[in-house]
Amino acid sequence: MRLFVLILLWFPALVWAADIRIGLLAWQGEESAASEWRPLLKALQDGLPGHRLHAFYFDLKGMANAVSDRQLDFVVTNPGHYVALEAQHGVTRIATQIIESGQDSAHTVGSAVIVRSDRTDLQTLDDLKGRRLAAVSTDAFGGYQVVWAALKGRGIDPEDGDFVPYFTGFPMTRVIDAVDSGAADAGTIRSCLLERLEAEGKVAAGRYRVLSPQDVPGPCRRSSPVYPGWAFAAAPQTSPELAREVLIVLLGLSPRVTGQTWGVPADYHPVHEMLRELQIEPYAFLREHRLESQVRRYWPIAAGLVLLLIFWVVYTLRVEVLVQRRTRELSAALAARDRLAESIEAHRQQMEHLSRLSILGELSGTLAHELNQPLATIGNYANSLTRRLERGSLSAEATARAAAEIASESERAAGILAGIRAFARKRTRIRERVALLTLVEGAVQLFRGMIPDAPPVELSDRLPEEQRTVTVDPLQIQQILLNLLKNGLDAQRAAGCPEAPLRIELTAGGASDATISVRDRGTGMPEAERARLFEPFFTTKPEGMGLGLSISRSIAEAHGGTLDAREPDDGPGLVLCLQLPVTPVTDKDDEQAD
Amino acid sequence: MMSKPTDPAVVHVIDDEAPFRRSLLFLLESAGWMAIGHESAEAFLDAAPPFPETGGCLVLDIRMPRISGLELQRRLNAAGSAFPVVFMTGHGDVELAVQAMKAGAVDFLQKPFKDQPFLDTVERAVALSQTRHDAERRRMQACESLGHLSPREAEVARWLALGLSNKEIARELAISDHTVHIHRQHVMEKTGTGSAAELARLILRANPDGLD
Repeated sequence: MRLFVLILLWFPALVWAADIRIGLLAWQGEESAASEWRPLLKALQDGLPGHRLHAFYFDLKGMANAVSDRQLDFVVTNPGHYVALEAQHGVTRIATQIIESGQDSAHTVGSAVIVRSDRTDLQTLDDLKGRRLAAVSTDAFGGYQVVWAALKGRGIDPEDGDFVPYFTGFPMTRVIDAVDSGAADAGTIRSCLLERLEAEGKVAAGRYRVLSPQDVPGPCRRSSPVYPGWAFAAAPQTSPELAREVLIVLLGLSPRVTGQTWGVPADYHPVHEMLRELQIEPYAFLREHRLESQVRRYWPIAAGLVLLLIFWVVYTLRVEVLVQRRTRELSAALAARDRLAESIEAHRQQMEHLSRLSILGELSGTLAHELNQPLATIGNYANSLTRRLERGSLSAEATARAAAEIASESERAAGILAGIRAFARKRTRIRERVALLTLVEGAVQLFRGMIPDAPPVELSDRLPEEQRTVTVDPLQIQQILLNLLKNGLDAQRAAGCPEAPLRIELTAGGASDATISVRDRGTGMPEAERARLFEPFFTTKPEGMGLGLSISRSIAEAHGGTLDAREPDDGPGLVLCLQLPVTPVTDKDDEQAD
Repeated sequence: MMSKPTDPAVVHVIDDEAPFRRSLLFLLESAGWMAIGHESAEAFLDAAPPFPETGGCLVLDIRMPRISGLELQRRLNAAGSAFPVVFMTGHGDVELAVQAMKAGAVDFLQKPFKDQPFLDTVERAVALSQTRHDAERRRMQACESLGHLSPREAEVARWLALGLSNKEIARELAISDHTVHIHRQHVMEKTGTGSAAELARLILRANPDGLD
């Protein structure tokens, strides 16, 4: 590792001492450049006997890369490119080329825009608007960029479509050919080229005209300002000593030998200005949209702001969505609760209805009997009347008696039917204040009326004075009691003692409840069966539906009460306890009672 | 249409349902029967109406409080009542019907029933009661005739009815032929029969097992 580093350090020093690597811009191709620069290189090699010169030819980008990679000690390139290299890689000019004798190094490169002399419609650069302008290449400094800058200064920019560039490529005489053939309206060439060609007789004098000729001394007409010539520059790592050695040789070169001279390094500031104006390298970044560059410069802040904004928007949206969702969920939940409540209520009413129907069904035998009696009675009287009429033994007294009986019996039948209908009809919620004892007595009476061989019902009332009133649906509570009595009777029948008395006890259940316990003397019920007693469709009777007690309990609960079964303290059987909240006796009631 | 104007048998209607009971009485009277209503089994038992010479029957509701129709039938059977029973029910209770028929009911009617079948049933029941009553009366008469015989005469009468000759009876009883002859004359005189066959019928009428 250490050895390798040493070699790396030592090797460039070795190259330094002996070799000079010069990069040359080959703007018309390597071959052309080699022939162009051979005299200069030869003269330099001659002037620098202690060194060996190596020449390398590059295009613009290749040279920039070579400089960046430190493969070169010196570069020779055009003013525009030099400015770019200077800005981007820190190369330093040591000399500026002078093309024509008499020029100063700062005013070497200018351009002429030529048109055919017969194009009288084109007089100044302003007339180029909307025309085709021939040039060698978009990268050519004197061959295009200088004119471009001059036109742009007049508000004529090809990038705005003000004129159409027509690039012919090198050599520059092609531009003149394009103008001559009419392929382009005008052409841009380096200043002095036209004069040289005319002098050499290659172009007829007066065939071409220069637009907007600048009023400057000298033989060359031109349409643009002039800029410094090509630069001979040292790479950043090149030692000042070597640079000075090379510079001395350069300044001493005779134009007779090389065809060109090198003067003191010029001020390239005008080139900078021009390139900045054109917004091309090294000022290409100016080309970027203003907002874009701002964004680039401030992007962390902007991104942060945008992020914040996005976050805020997302957060706001999220909150809004959540609020809406919660609202929806809440209203859905409320609606669901309402629906549930409705369905429970409907279900309860349905159950009660079913219960009444099932009681009706169980009592249907009795009810049929009840209805059969008046019907049969009426039939008997009607038949008897017919019979007597036929026999001629019908007396007015008998007719009146029969008619009265028929009327009374039909009334009775209607009454029974009305009762059944009222019992079977679905009822809405009713709450009435009633004395519990009255309610129970009514239920017992109903029970005994419905079941012909009903056993006696012993009623013991031990309710305290202030706990005798309940606020209930009297029919529903009577329905429960009827159900309990009927169950009790069924249990006693199953146990073979249907005539044993049923017992109802009214007692205070705590301070605010009244308990009605119905006790039968059947066989009772094991704990396991008692636990399931109130489940719907649980039944121990072969023909029962198992709905009675389940519905009874739901009715009790709808009244804020309870319905439970327990074992009696004495003897066999079962006690069913209906507990209901009592209605407190108020002063007002007392007054009314008084 | 059957009528018994000169022969008014008595039909007892027992039903706790007053309007219906009254309507049945009205119907029975329309058909010419003499009908009496009772509101319960107890009321009928308390009244203890005699069985009329001309016959009669009970029309009985099977379901009644306290003493049911079936119970009343059982008690009447035990007491040897001659009243045939027609049952009525508001329920199509097959089990009760079977019990009632086994216990000798004439018929079992389900309310509401048509008047004519009801009256026909009552007619049948009354006719049955008369038949039963006639048989009973003849039995009583036979018993009475035979009751006048002395124990020895009754013994001779039994052997005669079984077809034994005087000699055979004398040998059986270890008495003289003459004594048998005297007994025989007394038997014939007291029972008013003219032959051994007639005597046998009389004995069987009084007691179906009398000749075993």
